Amino acid sequence: MVDIIVCLKQTVDVNQVRPHPETLEPQLGQAPRKISDFDLNALEEALRIKEKHGGRVVAVCVGHDIQQLLIREALAMGADEAYVVSDPRLEKADGLVTAEVLAALIRKVGRWDLILCGEASLDESAYQTGPRLAEIFNIPHITYAVRVELEDSGVKVWKAMEGGIHVVKASLPAVLAVGLEINTPRLPSLLMIRAASKKPIHEVKLSELGLSEEQLTPAVETLQVKALKVERRRITLEGEPEELAQKLAEILVQEGLVKK
Amino acid sequence: MSTILVYSENPHAAAEMLVAARQLAPSLNASTAALHLGSMSEQDLKAYAAGGAELVYHVDGVDAEKHGPACVAEALANVARNVDAVMVLVAATRLGREVAPRTAQRLKTGYAAECVQLEASSDGLVAYRGVLGGTYQAKLLFKRKPYVVSLQTGRYQPEGSGSQPRVEKVSIEITAPQLELVEIARAESAGVDLEKAELIVSVGRGFKKREDLSMAEELAKVIGAELGCSRPIAGDLKWLPEDRHIGLSGKRVKPKLYLALGISGQVQHLVGIRDSKVVIAVNTDSNAPIMSEADYAVVGDIYKVVPLLTENLKKLLGR
Ligand SMILES: Cc1cc2nc3c(=O)[nH]c(=O)nc-3n(C[C@H](O)[C@H](O)[C@H](O)COP(=O)(O)OP(=O)(O)OC[C@H]3O[C@@H](n4cnc5c(N)ncnc54)[C@H](O)[C@@H]3O)c2cc1C
Ligand SMILES: Nc1ncnc2c1ncn2[C@@H]1O[C@H](COP(=O)(O)O)[C@@H](O)[C@H]1O
Repeated sequence: MVDIIVCLKQTVDVNQVRPHPETLEPQLGQAPRKISDFDLNALEEALRIKEKHGGRVVAVCVGHDIQQLLIREALAMGADEAYVVSDPRLEKADGLVTAEVLAALIRKVGRWDLILCGEASLDESAYQTGPRLAEIFNIPHITYAVRVELEDSGVKVWKAMEGGIHVVKASLPAVLAVGLEINTPRLPSLLMIRAASKKPIHEVKLSELGLSEEQLTPAVETLQVKALKVERRRITLEGEPEELAQKLAEILVQEGLVKK
Repeated sequence: MSTILVYSENPHAAAEMLVAARQLAPSLNASTAALHLGSMSEQDLKAYAAGGAELVYHVDGVDAEKHGPACVAEALANVARNVDAVMVLVAATRLGREVAPRTAQRLKTGYAAECVQLEASSDGLVAYRGVLGGTYQAKLLFKRKPYVVSLQTGRYQPEGSGSQPRVEKVSIEITAPQLELVEIARAESAGVDLEKAELIVSVGRGFKKREDLSMAEELAKVIGAELGCSRPIAGDLKWLPEDRHIGLSGKRVKPKLYLALGISGQVQHLVGIRDSKVVIAVNTDSNAPIMSEADYAVVGDIYKVVPLLTENLKKLLGR
């Protein structure tokens, strides 16, 4: 039996964020939100471990405006329950504050053996939350996990580094952070979606976590966010494959992109 | 005077970080030093010298590869405390991205990941980094010291041979949780330098089977291009080695020509090709995001267009 915590972040869908035409600031309010991509891989991996070894899978999620519907999505995939902190004060949270709040929330969940995170979040892509949580609990962490096997003595993980795959072992409890390589997240069936409506979502107040003012004060402030513009010619070529191939070959030669 | 403490398990990356650190040092009223873990060779010392290091702290008992990131973070945080570091600067390698946030947590401070630029201001350190998939840039201000930062590599040029740095031995008792390294399966990496490639033919999930990549390989051969790919091709499918994947979590390339075949162009891919001079995309879906981020958007089937294109080019180029 292994009890697994999965950290799910709700973020804007970055593919649908459009910059304001003048200020170039992202119009975040107009883009839909979703569960950060890699977190679904983390959840999927947790569910697979549970299917093999038994135990429970608890989703944890903190943010300034948590959407219940997205929590239900995780429960429909197969998480047993969820713990959530939704507080406007977290709008300015940096990685430090987020990790402190998550850790305090995880303490509320009680017993656990593994924490699974995405290696990087969709919006911030900081790779920081997993390592920070591990540091708070003083346990090992492994990022870039592409394959996980539970053993009697702990966990064996295949970790993708620049030079190749490092096979490493860690004792439990531990934090693992995963990317899209590890699995393909399942789509919940209608039955699962229905079952999810009965699963518990525990709403925890920020004030119940016993965090100090210092722990809740961001160390990094975002002063400005601006779109980086790239100008492209955006010429569309349509037609039969023969024409397209002909045209394209000419363009490559004429523009000096390929040389005789 | 306080210190900017630099660390990377890769001494050449450390040298780059030292160059960045030395540029910031006067305005932060700090000196610079590097941390080296494990045995130190002449080569290592040369690399630190090339970055202009005056001082290298050397901790012998910790090995990044063997003990894992928690132990590296412990050593880094300990030395940072001992020398009253104003800033800890880590190269954003894979290990660096694990070590830096763990160090920041140990020091109970903020962290800015994979920055592209750093500036000292009267309020503190200002860091610039990509967010929202890399298509936006955030300007961040640190409100607390020390500042923990990882910086993208390939942005600073070590000048060559500085004078030999002073080496100071530090002994640290490691108590952080260790990993056990079982084995390393070295990648069958072609060791390509995609960042320096002039022409890149890049493949995505529009390719149905691994064997079909031969179409792209043939085209690449005819025009003398390197082969690149989207993350799923290297990651999930493992059709190409990791070091060929381009984008937010992979290589950032700047070729004259980037030819994207069957790649949808999600923002995380686009950020890696931003500095390409000409982008050409071939995709069956005229609404794929890459089609509006290309100089030439070719609406077509790669299975039909690519072999014909290769034939045409062979003729035109006389190959
Ligand atoms: C934090 C994070 C980091 C990431 N980092 C990266 C990264 O560094 N690099 C990266 O690439 N991705 C990255 N991704 C993944 C990214 O979001 C996309 O999932 C990925 O880029 C999609 O790859 P693709 O375009 O090959 O596949 P798909 O999105 O599946 O696109 C396939 C395309 O092929 C087209 N197609 C299909 N058949 C044909 C045909 N016969 N002829 C022509 N066209 C055809 C389709 O229309 C489609 O547009 C990251 C994601 C996250 C969340
Ligand atoms: N607010 C949050 N709530 C729950 N999990 C989070 C939160 N922020 C980050 N995480 C987890 O940490 C991972 C890495 O995020 P980041 O450090 O922002 O790149 C995410 O993929 C999530 O698994």
